[in-house]
This record gives sequence, C-alpha cells and structure tokens, in this order.
Amino acid sequence: MNTLFAIATGIMFGMGIFQILRRDLIKAAMGFYILFAAVNLLFLSVGAYDGLIAPYVDAAGQTSAQPSDPLVQALILTAIVISFGSYALLLGLIAVTSRRFRTVDSDEVDHLKG
Amino acid sequence: MDNAILLGPIFIPLAGASLGVMLARNRTYQHALALVASVLAWLCSIVILAANLNGEILTYQLGGWAPPFGIVLVADQLTSVFALMATTVMLGGVLYALGCRDKSVSSPMFMPLFLCMGVGLNGSLYTGDIFTLFVFIELMVISSVILVAISDNRLGLEAAIKYLFISGVGSLFLLTGIAALYATFGTLNMADIGRLLASGERPLLAQAAAVMLMCAFLLKSGVFPFHFWQPDFHTTAPTPVHSVLSSVVVKAGIYSIIRMITLMFTDEAPLIQNILVVLGIIGIFFGSLAALRTYDAKRILAYSTFAQVGFILVGIGWGSPLALAAAIVYAFNHSLIKAALLMITGYIASRTAAKTSRLSEIGGAGKTLPLAGLLYFVGGLALAGVPPLNGFISKLTLVQGGIGVGQWVALGLVVGAGTLTLLYMTRTWQLIFQVQPAEPVKMKSYGDSALAPALLIVMCVVLGLYASPLIDLAMRAVEQIGDPTLYIRAVLGG
Repeated sequence: MNTLFAIATGIMFGMGIFQILRRDLIKAAMGFYILFAAVNLLFLSVGAYDGLIAPYVDAAGQTSAQPSDPLVQALILTAIVISFGSYALLLGLIAVTSRRFRTVDSDEVDHLKG
Repeated sequence: MDNAILLGPIFIPLAGASLGVMLARNRTYQHALALVASVLAWLCSIVILAANLNGEILTYQLGGWAPPFGIVLVADQLTSVFALMATTVMLGGVLYALGCRDKSVSSPMFMPLFLCMGVGLNGSLYTGDIFTLFVFIELMVISSVILVAISDNRLGLEAAIKYLFISGVGSLFLLTGIAALYATFGTLNMADIGRLLASGERPLLAQAAAVMLMCAFLLKSGVFPFHFWQPDFHTTAPTPVHSVLSSVVVKAGIYSIIRMITLMFTDEAPLIQNILVVLGIIGIFFGSLAALRTYDAKRILAYSTFAQVGFILVGIGWGSPLALAAAIVYAFNHSLIKAALLMITGYIASRTAAKTSRLSEIGGAGKTLPLAGLLYFVGGLALAGVPPLNGFISKLTLVQGGIGVGQWVALGLVVGAGTLTLLYMTRTWQLIFQVQPAEPVKMKSYGDSALAPALLIVMCVVLGLYASPLIDLAMRAVEQIGDPTLYIRAVLGG
C-alpha cells in the first residue's frame, strides 16, 4: 500500500469522523461523504499494492510490468455510486427537515421519545 | 450448472419494481403487479427449497463467469430456509399494503420501493460474493430509509436521518472489512475466502476484517451496543414496512453472521460465539425491560424484536448443532409472529381517530374489534412461547440446545427472561383489549384489512402443531453448514 494513500486515508477518516459528530446536520452530512471517500481511497490503494501503472494492454497484447489491480477500480465505481446516492438522499432528507422543523441543528430535532 | 431458478427471488421483484415505476399513474395495475411479483418470488423460493431438500447446493454463475472471478448465487439449505421466511413475510407485507389506508402507502413510489427492499433482502441471502452482499444490503437500507421518511408519522423523517447516518457508518465498516479481506486474499468470493482461511495462513489483517464485518452485521440486526436506532426507526415506519423491518430485515444480519462463522472464520468462531452469548443476553434483558416501560404498542413490539434477536444470538453463540438449529427455527417463527402482531396493531391503529398506536389513544380500543383481539391474543401467546403455538417450539428447541451445551448460567438467564416476554405481552394485551377507557374511544368503521395478519397467525398455529418438518429442515441445514468444504466444493467445483 502506498504511503501517501495511507496517510491521506487516515487524515480523511479523522476529518470525516470529526465532522459527522457535529451538531449541524449539513456539516455532518459532509463528514459522511468524506468518510465514504476515505474508504473508497483505501479500497483503491488496496489494488495498487503491486503497481501504480494503469492496467492497459498494449498493441502486442502485453501488459506493462506491474499494473495495478483493475478489479478494485470496478468495485469502487459501484461504491462511489452507492455513497453518492446515500449522500444525495441524506441531503434531501435534511432539506425536508429544515422546512418541517425550521432548524438543521440535530439537538433541536429530538422529538422521538418513547 | 444451470439453476436459473436462483434468479427468481431477486429479479422478479426487481422487474416488478421497475415496471411499477412506469405504471406509477395507474395504482391498481401497479399493486396487482407487486402482488404477482411477490407471489412468484415466494413460489421460486419454495421451488429452491424443494430442490435442495436432498442436500444438493444450487449455484448459478451470473453472466457465465466462473467463480472466484464471477459473481455467483448460492442456495444451500440455510439460505433456502431464510429465503422462504423472507419471501413469506414480504408477501404478507404486500398483502397488508394492498388493504392499507395510510397516505404513504398510496404514494406512487411506495410499492416499487417496498419491492426493492425485498430484492435487497433476498439478494443478500442468495449471494455468494461479499461485495455483492454489500450492494444488496445498501439497496435494502436506502429503500427502507425512503419508506420511513415518507411515513404518515411526521417523526419518520427524523428517524430516517438518524438511521441513514448510523447505517452509513456501518456500511463503511463493512466496506473496510471487504477491502481488508481483498488485500489479504485477493478474492471476494466467500467460498474462496473460506478455502484460503482454512488452508492455514491467517494474517492479522483478516482478523481485523472479521471484527469489522461483525460490527457491520450486528449494527444491521440492531444488537446491543448498536441498537439505539432500532426502536425509533421501526416505530415510525408505515405498518407494512414496520412488519417487514422488525421481522425479516433484522434477520439478514443474523444470516450473514451464521454464514461468516460457519464458512469463513471457523477458527475465530468460538471467540465470536462467546461474545454473541453475552450480547444476546444483554439484549434480551434490555429489550424486555424497555418493552415493559413503553407506552406505544408499535414501540413495544420494536423493543421486543430487540429482545427476540437476543434469543437467536444466544442460540448461535451456544454453537452446538441443536442450538444452531434452534436459532434458525427461532428466527423463522419469530418473523411470522412479529409481522402478524405488528399488522394487527396497525389494524387497530388505523381505526382510531388519531391514527396512532400510543396506548393512551388506543387503550380499550380493542373492545369493539373481537377479531383483532383473538388474533393478537394468539400472536402474543406465540411470542411468549405458550404451547401449542410455534413460539413454544422455538423456545423448547433453544432450551434443549442449551441443556446439550451445559451452559447453565446462560440457560437460566434465558429461561428467566422468557417470562418477561409473557409479562409485557400480557400488559399490552390488557391495555389494548381489556382496560375500560375513561371516555369511549371513537372508532372509524373502516381501516386496514386483517387478511394478511390472519394468514400469518394461521401459519403460526400450523407450525406449532406440525413443528417437526421445520425442525428437520433446520437440523439438516445445520448439518450441511457444519462442513464448510461442501459449500466450497459446490461453489468452486472440484
């Protein structure tokens, strides 16, 4: 695993966790997306462990010496679509919340008590 | 290997959902289509169950790509039992939704989303590929979040945001676990991971992956340290959605846990199982005591799910073949009972003026509804485990499993907590059907249909009287998962 990717993943994970714990729902939603991006980057770097060159086949049908793993790139494409969908849904729900409860402060949206 | 029938429970509801979106203007056709799709999915799951009664494990390679490279659908007996349970309750949910008068149910997107939830559920059971498992679980989560957000209960929105945040972080753990497994073994096929783990090498990263997967699955099932979203999210859901969420959706996590400890992490299984017993017992007590102190009929049942999942986890944790079979029987029976009870609660709530299930509003409301009273009484007794109903059978097998293992402290706690179930069900029944309200409750003459809960309660009684086929099935399923090489050989060939 690439050192740069490892450090970037760690920083993004920390940022995401910090943001997701904030009271402002919009900032929390952004933290949610940063967290997903961190995990996607982690997944990508998992495939780059034995090479950082794009996995293309040249005209003679030969691959370059150490191509990175193409499967994880297909996988994170799916993961990005899912995370983007969840993020869009989350922002939509927050928009409705701000209209219905007139606030996006998660401490004031606490009507669920049983 | 041409078992295209395995596509049925996943792709028939998916087709129903897609066509349902196109038919959004014509509600009648859309609902008829949803009913047809869920009946077909149910029939497919029965055919699959019948096909592997002789112990054969069915596999289907999507797109003809051989595993471990392609995605493969697998049905062994464990999958078939869980899938039969899932499609049965989904069919019940669709039947209930057809006769439901909630505003959210008449929304044009309700039925497509409801079917999508079923697709996610069935897909997460049948898939043999761990990344596809993640995709199906996310499909289930996102559809259920939207269904709860459009609920008639205004607080559904708040619960949906809460759940989306928590479940999103849970999914991140699942994804990180999958990345760790891929980094270690270079494969995503569960059978292949199981084969590589069994062949000896056991890097530290794989154990970290086990922890992350475990956390994610426990979160999806609403087990003790990750349970706090569950009562809110389930209570505010529309009744048909609640009856599916509280009964079968939480079992998807249970199924994945069973698959994980029997197929992949067999060496770590004893440690995981010890943790599951502890978490299960905490869940049983927490859920039962919380249900006793709650003043909303739907919320009581949501807390009860939390407690009943605890019983199932204890069964898995004991780990002997009988105890595991008991956990499977318990999961099956609990799904039917809990779905039926929730539908009856919705049946009563839909007839009150405020359309709420708070006990202060519906207290005594049941006096004018003798049919609901009878069904709720039978269902409540079944949940509490009174013979001759199916809840008794599941508790009996669980206790036999516990005696076989000889964990007397855990067994004592489980049996003691079983009486708490009787306590809170009796309390709820009395408060709805027995108590004399201070002023007469105004009841509407129309409301939701009682067809689906009646059918489910009939199934509960039948499964109580003829219990041996289900127990036989569970025993054979446990025998099959007891030897992971069978599964691995069926998937990978050779």
